[in-house]
Amino acid sequence: MNRITAPKISNLIPAVYLGLTVAAGFAAAPAGAAEASGDILARGAKSWSENCSRCHEMRDPMEFRDDLWRPIVTHMRVRAGLTGTQQREILAFLQSANNRAAEPRKVSTDRAVQGASAKSAQTGADIYQQTCVACHGQNGTGSVPGAPDFTATDGPLAKDDGVLLRHITEGFKTPGSPMAMPPKGGNPALGAADIQRVLTYLREQFGGASR
Amino acid sequence: MKRPSRKPSAVFAATLAAVAMSQDVLADATYDALKSQVESLQKQLREVKDQLDAQEKDTTDKEVAELRNRVEQVSAQSEEWKNADSVVHLAGYGDFSYTDGDNQNGALSAVRFNPIFHYQYRDLIMLEAELELEVDETGGTTNNLEYLTVDLFVNDNLALLGGRFLSPIGQFRQNFHPSWINKLPTAPPGFGHDQAAPVSETGLQARGGFPLGGESRFINYALYAGNGPILEIVGNEIEAIEAEGRTSNDDDEAVFGGRIGILPLPRLELGLSGATGKVAGEDEPDATRSYRVFGADLAYQWRSLRLRGEYIEQKVGSEASSAAPDSAKWQAWYTQASYRFAPTGWEGVVRYGDYDSPHDSSDQKQWAVGVNYLFAANAMAKLAYNFNDGANGSAADDDGFQVQFAYGF
Repeated sequence: MNRITAPKISNLIPAVYLGLTVAAGFAAAPAGAAEASGDILARGAKSWSENCSRCHEMRDPMEFRDDLWRPIVTHMRVRAGLTGTQQREILAFLQSANNRAAEPRKVSTDRAVQGASAKSAQTGADIYQQTCVACHGQNGTGSVPGAPDFTATDGPLAKDDGVLLRHITEGFKTPGSPMAMPPKGGNPALGAADIQRVLTYLREQFGGASR
Repeated sequence: MKRPSRKPSAVFAATLAAVAMSQDVLADATYDALKSQVESLQKQLREVKDQLDAQEKDTTDKEVAELRNRVEQVSAQSEEWKNADSVVHLAGYGDFSYTDGDNQNGALSAVRFNPIFHYQYRDLIMLEAELELEVDETGGTTNNLEYLTVDLFVNDNLALLGGRFLSPIGQFRQNFHPSWINKLPTAPPGFGHDQAAPVSETGLQARGGFPLGGESRFINYALYAGNGPILEIVGNEIEAIEAEGRTSNDDDEAVFGGRIGILPLPRLELGLSGATGKVAGEDEPDATRSYRVFGADLAYQWRSLRLRGEYIEQKVGSEASSAAPDSAKWQAWYTQASYRFAPTGWEGVVRYGDYDSPHDSSDQKQWAVGVNYLFAANAMAKLAYNFNDGANGSAADDDGFQVQFAYGF
């Protein structure tokens, strides 16, 4: 009579884990949030800057179309062991940040337009922490290759406010940098007043009076 | 009786009056006729104009309607790709290399093309496959299916993979080896095919990640069960361990393994890997012996500085019934630093590696130094020199340099 041998405990661990996880249900959220909030985009930018460069050079958000970023980020989720939440946030950021302006847009100096975002409760520091810090770093010296040093005397803050407002609003590629900063840092929810506030914060925090 | 005479002036006046009267009558008639004609013409003109206006309006309305319809069609078509359930994407990389060095002739030594196919259905399933096409020494082409998996995304923390996948042991083989990512033209000693690091596995895998508190801290994991490697036995020695995703399992023993990566800080990843199971020789499936793998890896980036390090060992136990009864161990480690002189495209890299195997002729210690130029984030020219230290007279002891151009897409 054949004896029934008990399976090894070590062999059961993966099966138990898979069983429990699958039992938790297929909870994957639908692809592509229709309207990505500023918080999602900010988290996406942060995850993008912290995780993609773990293996390879940073790829410019403008390198691919929205539809192509989708399988690329899914592939990266598998490769990098990201969570589904991280995948969706990175995708939302890349799809938001990859739009090139058809033609250069003028930065509005209209007080009415500026006032549209003047009611925002966000301070310049809030906006910097949410949208900019992923690439420019806490100390403004840049945390990813190619991000300029705000503290350098001949750095970006040596430029006039008008130039900087235009660069932030329209996006800008530092000469020699492997990638461009997307328009509004990849957060289209920012208004003109938000951008003015973050520029003021940059000057207060990293030096250089308004020009 | 005298007839009354008429004065000529009166007659003339009367005649004139009559003529004038007749002319007035004539003028009125002509005027009326002309007026009537003009009115008629005006009416006709208005009718024609109305017809033309109506025709023009009709034409304009039709054109506008057609244009609107066309715009709507184009707009709908332009939105199709955004909402498509299935997406197809082609990625991959290619490279060519020139090598020269001790005891070898300089030659364009490698031309490779690795297309990667992605087929994704919603956020549920993805098929991933990579081919490697390479020109060989005779001018022919070798091809290899590097991996093919069907990935099922169960939830935000779990993806199930089935097929042939890159080994999750360590980081180099699964993430760093593509030429557009690898900062040097060569793999570290011991991390090539049939050496210390398992290359691929055929089986099932579960992988994903969990947040660890805070946006930047999380754990990633990979657990797998597969057919495992096989030993190449020549004479009474184990010649090599072939850990490349086979579709056969002669010894009828599965291998279980995995890796856990911890990211305690942004851009810092620490990993531990392991696998266990049984392995047998190619021609002696019943002579199974123990199989153990251990690995540890580190990757850190600070601005333009990248640090990487990895240790891997594969061990097989002794087996008295085998033609090669002794145990064997393959171990390798390397540490690498690269720095990009941003904002320029220049980059410097240095790596030290050490590989020990059951065969002294294969053992190697290596210093590799290189200079790269990045034309883009995905296009890199590399120039490297390897200072090798191996058994005297063996190829592992020959120094050499490589030039490589790699492009990822």
